[in-house]
Amino acid sequence: MSDVGFHLAFWSLAVITVGSALMIVVSRNLIHAVVYLILSFVGVAGLYLTLSAEFIAMVQILVYVGAIAVLMLFAIMLTPRAARDNSETLMRYPALILMGLIIAAGTFVALETDWGAMRGEAIGEQTRIIGESLINEFVLPFEIAAVLLTAALVGAIALAREDDEDLALHAESLAEDGLLPPDADSPSPSPAPTPGGGDS
Amino acid sequence: MTIGLEEYLVLGAIVFGIGLYIALSKRNAIGVLMGVEIMLNSVNLTLVAFSRFSDSSVALSTQVFVIFIVAVAAAEVAVGLALALVVYRNRRTISVDEIDLLRW
Repeated sequence: MSDVGFHLAFWSLAVITVGSALMIVVSRNLIHAVVYLILSFVGVAGLYLTLSAEFIAMVQILVYVGAIAVLMLFAIMLTPRAARDNSETLMRYPALILMGLIIAAGTFVALETDWGAMRGEAIGEQTRIIGESLINEFVLPFEIAAVLLTAALVGAIALAREDDEDLALHAESLAEDGLLPPDADSPSPSPAPTPGGGDS
Repeated sequence: MTIGLEEYLVLGAIVFGIGLYIALSKRNAIGVLMGVEIMLNSVNLTLVAFSRFSDSSVALSTQVFVIFIVAVAAAEVAVGLALALVVYRNRRTISVDEIDLLRW
């Protein structure tokens, strides 16, 4: 655990993770904040690799970077007239104090507790053991998680789906702001539809 | 100096603190969700560190727990972003200090 490469990997990944998390705080553009969020996720995935948890690292890349960050980008793009400036509310000073307290308490507990015997070498064949325990002792939580994911996806679709009058209102108000051409969604009275129109 | 459990725990505490600050202070609802995701990530990092350094024979159960946390976080962010879209459609804003319909 004390070779130079491991130290280099840990400290550079720690700097990437903490630094990009701090850049989310200070960056003034929400899109840039999402990019720094992705960088922070990648840094945590690298830290999982330094802990020899290769399966969790791959799950982290696939789910967080591949799904959650892209979902956030979509949500930002779908709210075009909301504020994009990533500013902060008046809660920042209480939040700053709370952050300091949490970090101090966590550091104190981590350094002052006697954690007992440590394992020197990582467990081998982790993916096989995790997969077997998922279908043996953890099969009930596994199925519950599957039901939860299905319910959440159905709920998200039901919430985000627009029915036709919503869609017409939405297109109308977007057209008022010049974000859409005015006749993009209204049915044109002439028999020949305008090219490129009506497909938003 | 060797890198052991303590370093990972301190790192997890720092990342959790930053995520808490983001979740509490951001004005945009999507920014708040980003803070929640950072916090969940730091908790996962702490759990994986315990799983690596724990001397128990069932240490890998912790990683199964991490997988469930990731699944629940994905469900949470999907529903949260759908809620943000609905609020945007009705109120034309997703700024958390303008969404005060339930304020007393």
